[in-house]
Amino acid sequence: MATGDVRIGVDVGGTFTDLILEAQAGDRPKVVVHKVPSTPKDQSKGVLEGIAEICRIAGVERSDVKMIVHGTTVATNITLEHNGAEVGMLTTRNFRDILHIARHKRPHNFSMQFDVPWQSKPLVKRRNRIPITERIMPPSGTIDTPLDESEVRAACETLKRNGVEAVIVCFLFSFLKNDHEKRAKEIIQELMPDVYVCCSHEVVDVIREYERFSTTAMNAFVGPRTSRYLRNLERKLHGDGYDAELRIMQSNGGVATVDTCSDKAVTILMSGPAGGVIGGSFAGKLSGEDNIITVDIGGTSADISTIPAGSLKIMNPRDTYVGDYPVLVPMIDLSTIGAGGGSIAYIDEGGAFRVGPRSAGAEPGPVCYGKGGTEPTVTDAQVVLGRLDADRLLGGELTVDRELARKAIEQKLAKPLGLTVEQAALGIIRIMNNNMALAIRANSVARGIDPRNFALMPFGGAGPLHGVALASEIFAREVIVPPAPGITAAMGLLVTDMKYEFTRSVLAVLNDAEQTALDQINVHIEKLEQLCREQLTADGVPPAQQAFSKIAECRYQGQGFELRAVMPNDPLTLETKQQVMDSFHAAHRLDYGYAFEDSPVEVVTLRVIGSVAVDPLELPKLPKANGAGIESAYLYSRDTIFDDGRPVETPRYDRERLAAGHEVPGPAVILQHNSTTLVPPGYLASVQESANLHIRAGSASGDAPQSVQ
Amino acid sequence: MSQHEVDPITLQVIGGAFDTIAKEMGHILYRMSFSSIIRESQDLGAGLFDANFNTLCESDSTPLHIGSIPGYLRGVQETLQGGEWHEGDVVIHNHPYYGASHSPDIAVVVPVFHEGQLVGFSANTAHHVDIGSATPGLIIDIPDVFAEGMLFAGIKLYEKGVRNEALWQFIGHNSRMPKQLRDDIEAQIASCRLGQRRFLELIETYGLETVQTASNQLMDYSERLLRRRIAEIPDGEYYAEGFLDDDGRNRDVRLPVKVCVRIRGDSATVDLTGSSPQVPTGFNVPFEGSTKVACYFAFRALLLDTATSDEYVPQNEGSFRPIEVIAPKGSIFNPEFPAAAEARFTQCNRVIDCIIRALSPVLPERVSGGNSASLSFAAYSGVRPGGDYWVFLEVNEGAYGGRPHSDGPDAIDNLMCNTRNNPIEDLGMHLPLVCDRYELRDDVMPGAGRYRGGIGVVKAQRFLTDGSMTHENDRHLDTPWGVFGGKPGVVGKVELYNGAEPAAKEQLPAKFSGVPTKAGDVMAFYAPCGGGYGNPLERPPEQVREDVLDDFCTLKHAHEVYGVVLDDDMRIDWSATEQRRRDLSQSAA
Repeated sequence: MATGDVRIGVDVGGTFTDLILEAQAGDRPKVVVHKVPSTPKDQSKGVLEGIAEICRIAGVERSDVKMIVHGTTVATNITLEHNGAEVGMLTTRNFRDILHIARHKRPHNFSMQFDVPWQSKPLVKRRNRIPITERIMPPSGTIDTPLDESEVRAACETLKRNGVEAVIVCFLFSFLKNDHEKRAKEIIQELMPDVYVCCSHEVVDVIREYERFSTTAMNAFVGPRTSRYLRNLERKLHGDGYDAELRIMQSNGGVATVDTCSDKAVTILMSGPAGGVIGGSFAGKLSGEDNIITVDIGGTSADISTIPAGSLKIMNPRDTYVGDYPVLVPMIDLSTIGAGGGSIAYIDEGGAFRVGPRSAGAEPGPVCYGKGGTEPTVTDAQVVLGRLDADRLLGGELTVDRELARKAIEQKLAKPLGLTVEQAALGIIRIMNNNMALAIRANSVARGIDPRNFALMPFGGAGPLHGVALASEIFAREVIVPPAPGITAAMGLLVTDMKYEFTRSVLAVLNDAEQTALDQINVHIEKLEQLCREQLTADGVPPAQQAFSKIAECRYQGQGFELRAVMPNDPLTLETKQQVMDSFHAAHRLDYGYAFEDSPVEVVTLRVIGSVAVDPLELPKLPKANGAGIESAYLYSRDTIFDDGRPVETPRYDRERLAAGHEVPGPAVILQHNSTTLVPPGYLASVQESANLHIRAGSASGDAPQSVQ
Repeated sequence: MSQHEVDPITLQVIGGAFDTIAKEMGHILYRMSFSSIIRESQDLGAGLFDANFNTLCESDSTPLHIGSIPGYLRGVQETLQGGEWHEGDVVIHNHPYYGASHSPDIAVVVPVFHEGQLVGFSANTAHHVDIGSATPGLIIDIPDVFAEGMLFAGIKLYEKGVRNEALWQFIGHNSRMPKQLRDDIEAQIASCRLGQRRFLELIETYGLETVQTASNQLMDYSERLLRRRIAEIPDGEYYAEGFLDDDGRNRDVRLPVKVCVRIRGDSATVDLTGSSPQVPTGFNVPFEGSTKVACYFAFRALLLDTATSDEYVPQNEGSFRPIEVIAPKGSIFNPEFPAAAEARFTQCNRVIDCIIRALSPVLPERVSGGNSASLSFAAYSGVRPGGDYWVFLEVNEGAYGGRPHSDGPDAIDNLMCNTRNNPIEDLGMHLPLVCDRYELRDDVMPGAGRYRGGIGVVKAQRFLTDGSMTHENDRHLDTPWGVFGGKPGVVGKVELYNGAEPAAKEQLPAKFSGVPTKAGDVMAFYAPCGGGYGNPLERPPEQVREDVLDDFCTLKHAHEVYGVVLDDDMRIDWSATEQRRRDLSQSAA
């Protein structure tokens, strides 16, 4: 990499905007990390300030920055705050309420007073859902009733009067024949040249009307504002003297250009957490570890993902929801649970000891922050147990009152439950860890993955406090703490490939498919590949660097849920179709523990993923310890309570001063800015050249390990 | 059981594990299965049970299944093949006079042995499309329980790990959908085996005694929460009643549903005495597996409302203990052998609706106006050119009554029903059936109120080839009521016509059995609309205007019932509205 090739990753979180900058200093890579407060009203403010600051810190010229990769919560926040565009919808006559009925299932089983978000907060108001006479018939897509163009024109007048900013066209069976959707769009663009228009087959060309329409509606709902934000940010960057290309993290773990994300904003709804998963996967590879379980623990929630053999898992399209709305776009398979440093511990009215999902958030925050919080949190428990040093939080920038935390735990939990304060504090940690361990199991064991072959990677500010306990709970092989746990998500942005996906529903039973049916599949695959190729080429990727993978989403004929089967690279033939079927049987056995091998296999949706690899991020290596002891990193010792409940005089080490080859035996606490790593008794942390910290049971002197819960 | 208490922390840990296991069991079952009634509607239940048949955990799929499995287990115990459990056994059971909820809901039960000792069961139930009943899929007008199809009682599909091929072959020759039936049973077995494995892992981690003690404490916990809420209700007897249209054969006989809820301290009794005697068709309700479960549901939904409370109440036996259910033998809610009892859902939902109505004077913040409280369960079938049957079961949604702080949800599964619809496009690709209309009813207005009732759906399905259909439904005659000044809702209706002549509509009763259909015939179902909650004149005019803009309310209805006057530009005419509202309240007084 030339000196001038500077790349910046910027990840916006709820509290902080994290940044990482990579440059070349002489022949050595130079990496700078930084954090600035987020600016929720206009994220771009914090982003621009952060970029300016990190450039200053790193001493690079703005014009040297060649690429900025951005993980953003803009689109997600529109859905959370429900303040998206006013959307109009043209839909098949007699089916006006598909978005209102959804799948007719209640969000609660046992409730009379439940809310139905898609009815009380619709993506498209009923007044703007206008039925149009037209009819496509299954199973072959014949036109039963032609599109009534005069109705489309009249609908445009109504929608104009209603002041909509976006219009979607959602007709039944458009995945079989999209002529009506296309023609309606032409008319809308002619009559309403300023609105954002998209058709359901353009956003996601698959079977199942509610999910397709809802995804399309979501795209239009978040589209105009997201697009304004992205274009505005791009403009300001250029105005501020940056010449960089701006790329955006998508939910599928690939990056894309501002243009594509503006057209399909629905693909960046999970832009935020995706960076963390990729950063975790990258940090694992630094240690040569491909099987990673990432646990990103923040203040209010934890994101969990399993990465087998170095490849990200993508969620089954039937499981991809954003809030209560299905969004049929590929997303990294990650689970979010309401467990973080701010999670509140309490006794409920039935007398049960609970932790989360309620959180003290940033305001008032944990009791020990002294900002008015009265309910004890996980952070309070860590402070009481001496695992977090009250005077060292955020490198000492935050003052913390341990006594307040003690009192809150005593009054609210210990006394009513007849426990000591320490027992109650340990209980908080144990319940929190258990909640997370169950979520990890659901994301791994429940899907046929054996955590014993995996390393657990904790990050986010609070992650490394819980890493060893979680790993022990799920029997993970070891714990790997990445170099900068607080900045791992931003790091992920700089190691992300460019990736585009296109899908099309083509129903065919493989067992009795003749070559003509297979040719039809081949034709569609070719079209999808062409779409990927056009997109990548438009982004300036030379053909030689473009790579494509082809997937058939299949089910046994009669089932309702598809699993992914791998398609051969070459066109499908009568000889190779068996490979696809075998791949499906194997996926079915992996997920469900059983395969119906003599049942017909039906292809439902074809998917092609086009990607291009980016230059890898190079992190500077740590200097070697060369026989020097860890004393130089020693800070001080304090009483710390581990899981047996007894206080142990425990040394603190400064992570910045540890060198490659150093081994830190537990009990120990390793401090760095924004993060604290707990090494319990019986565990040994070893420092790698990559700056990763590996923690395993055992000790330098070969003592038997203790078990940790 | 141990006399020691499990500490509160371990208790949460084990409780969380139970919850996850039940979810996983349900997940595998519906993801793997073939019939849409399981995979889309999730008409299934799954969980773990102790050796005394107490529920340890259950999946949160369809409420009617929740709480029904212990009845099955008791029935299995009475009828178990060979009288003894062995490791490697897999039992199927669906006999309604031995605890089953109803015969199409087949249970699969796997015993869990730990060190040679029977410690519990992993079990699930799932609704099967066709078990060889008198008419394809659903049955109403039948003489007795033997017309329901194959009855399994305590029969082993596997004995000591050996597959009973004879039984599998027998099943294959006694269903109109043999492959689907057998494959879905395989999915049930896979789900049970997963539960068994997870149960054992839990015992190995924490020890049998701790797991048993913890599960008892979790049951006590659920019981305690429910009792506390019951105790808040003043002691007394609370009545409500309604009636069912007919039994599906004798069209002129209305069937009363009488509910008396007795509250004494922290216990409740639901007494159904006075309700209709048992009927000569399949429109009876198995007592153990359905009547009792419906009453349990009502109390959970009212008193442990998951939307208004933060607390998670574990799904276990504890929440059933405070409730006693009385239904005289020989009544529609406790039929005597050999009466048929397959079509039982609507009656269950009506009992719940009556419990809600009975308690509304003392629980105004927890109830709703009258609900649709019936079920539209439709069986479409035909024979394909090759001679194979196709059978499709569809659950149509209802609507809720208005509520103390919000409108009744529209077009949604009601009360004990909580399934998912079938995508119209998936249906169209695979069956000779096409959907002609699916949206909110616009022929009527729902019950008006400060909070209006929910709007019912209209769904029209057209046969593309000749076939036949059966419809299990009710509430064409007894209108959902309004509460606290809310107006009544609207009853449902069913129309049959041919696509070639859509004007020639025939009105059908709610229930009909094995009606032959011709290509082009359309069955259009109109769901009941919910009753209103509170005086409609207190609904803010702005809200009425929004409803008019969205076509949830006509201009006429706004004027006549809500007293809201809008001008030609859809602006509120405030003075005319005030006058109109004054006139309306005077004429009401």
